[in-house]
Amino acid sequence: MFGYVTPCKMEMKIKDYEKFKAYYCGLCNSIKHNYGNLPRLTLNFDMTFLAILIDSLGDNKSNFTEFTCAIHPLKKRVMINNNKALDYAAFSNTTLAYYKLMDDVQDNKTMKSKVFSLFLRNYLSKNKVEYNDVMKYTKEKLLLLNTLETNHENLTIDELSHVFADLTGFIVSFYYKDEIFKEDLYWLGYNLGKWIYIIDAYDDLEKDIENNSFNAINALFNSDKLDYKSFSKCIKPRIDYILTTCAQQCLKNLNSLPLIKNEDILYNILELGLMEKMDKVFNRKSDIDYLKGVEYKDGKSL
Amino acid sequence: MANPYEVLGVREGTSKEDIKKAYREQAKKYHPDQYGDNPLKDLAEEKMQELNEAYDSLMKNTGSSNGYQSSNSYNSSNNYNSSSTSYDDYTNRDIYQSIRMDLNSGNISSAEKKLGSMSTKTAEWNYLMGMVHLKKSWHDSAYNFISKACSLEPNNIEYRQSFNALNTQNSNYRGNYYGRRNKDSDMGNMCINLWCADSLCECLGGDLISCC
Repeated sequence: MFGYVTPCKMEMKIKDYEKFKAYYCGLCNSIKHNYGNLPRLTLNFDMTFLAILIDSLGDNKSNFTEFTCAIHPLKKRVMINNNKALDYAAFSNTTLAYYKLMDDVQDNKTMKSKVFSLFLRNYLSKNKVEYNDVMKYTKEKLLLLNTLETNHENLTIDELSHVFADLTGFIVSFYYKDEIFKEDLYWLGYNLGKWIYIIDAYDDLEKDIENNSFNAINALFNSDKLDYKSFSKCIKPRIDYILTTCAQQCLKNLNSLPLIKNEDILYNILELGLMEKMDKVFNRKSDIDYLKGVEYKDGKSL
Repeated sequence: MANPYEVLGVREGTSKEDIKKAYREQAKKYHPDQYGDNPLKDLAEEKMQELNEAYDSLMKNTGSSNGYQSSNSYNSSNNYNSSSTSYDDYTNRDIYQSIRMDLNSGNISSAEKKLGSMSTKTAEWNYLMGMVHLKKSWHDSAYNFISKACSLEPNNIEYRQSFNALNTQNSNYRGNYYGRRNKDSDMGNMCINLWCADSLCECLGGDLISCC
């Protein structure tokens, strides 16, 4: 479900790209520091975005340090450390990953997720008390989502995706729950959550139809049991409309936030990064070039 | 509050029937819906509210036995189930108007509740429901409601405009991304554009590039 909110690398300034990487490494480091090594495997880009967004609203100075990464030992890297926003993102990352895994355990009962979730539980017990509300909310909402997904008759896509969207909105706005811009943050998160939920479903559509596993779009719209090819053709415009509207609303809410730093990165992600992802998912061209004739590898290999 | 008799333009001690008649006439004149996006709309809304208040207070004072309660609550307009159908239409309009006010003031849940309790689903009902869902970021159903409103009343400019706005916003957003990607268009493209412009000018009797 994760890893869709990425920057549009080709339109980024080098300094912003390096900063993004510093946040990414900082998040990984914060997970290690607060929860241990194993949960680092759940690190994802969406939470890097969360860290950047939350940090952009605080006026603390970023603390850059050079370090050598164990996984990429050859090059020195820069990361941000001692940052409260990163710690919050690390917490959200681990919590979401854990409860998502619990879901998978219930759903398909694979050994891998079962073992992994047992490990994660131990790590999660080291949590801070101030974030307990978020944990409770996450647990509740993902459970509700699971129930709705099993009994999806007569639901609309808006009703189903509302649960995850609302959860994302809650997580995004919780950190600033007493500020005036809380509402804007919530709606940014809400639309982003909906976007993530739906683009994930569309991305997995082919695989899910083949394996006959649950897929929100297939379950709600494919009443005639069409095959992937003909179904995706007729549902694409509708999904495209929903996703673009969500993305556009994210940008609109970002405009009303009192950003102090990271402005260019955030605009890059919400204005271009989301579009780029949609373009990729819809057109299935994994290596389309941004500059004509220049090949670039999948954006995931930072 | 102003004298309700003056607001409705009737003499003191007028019968209930006449008050109703006067109210209906005034409401027709001032109903904000007919103003579209006109700046007069706000004024009309104010006037309409005044009318409603005056009407409510008069109907209460005339000592009718059955429930015209709570003069200020628009919900209560449900209770004025008079026999004439056109009047029924006005009560519906009152509700719609109060729903619009809820929407403007950001009271989404109240607007949704009122819409949910209505049984007749007119074009306006669909439009307002679409607006409610738009505020809730339920984009898919909002789109469906508003397009339904458009198909029920194809000539309504307000519905049509909102529907178009939904699509324009998205194409603007998309355009920003695709515009950047195609910004470095090649020289050939520019030549074709020039040639087209020239041909068009020549069609109209002018000339952009004199040598061809």
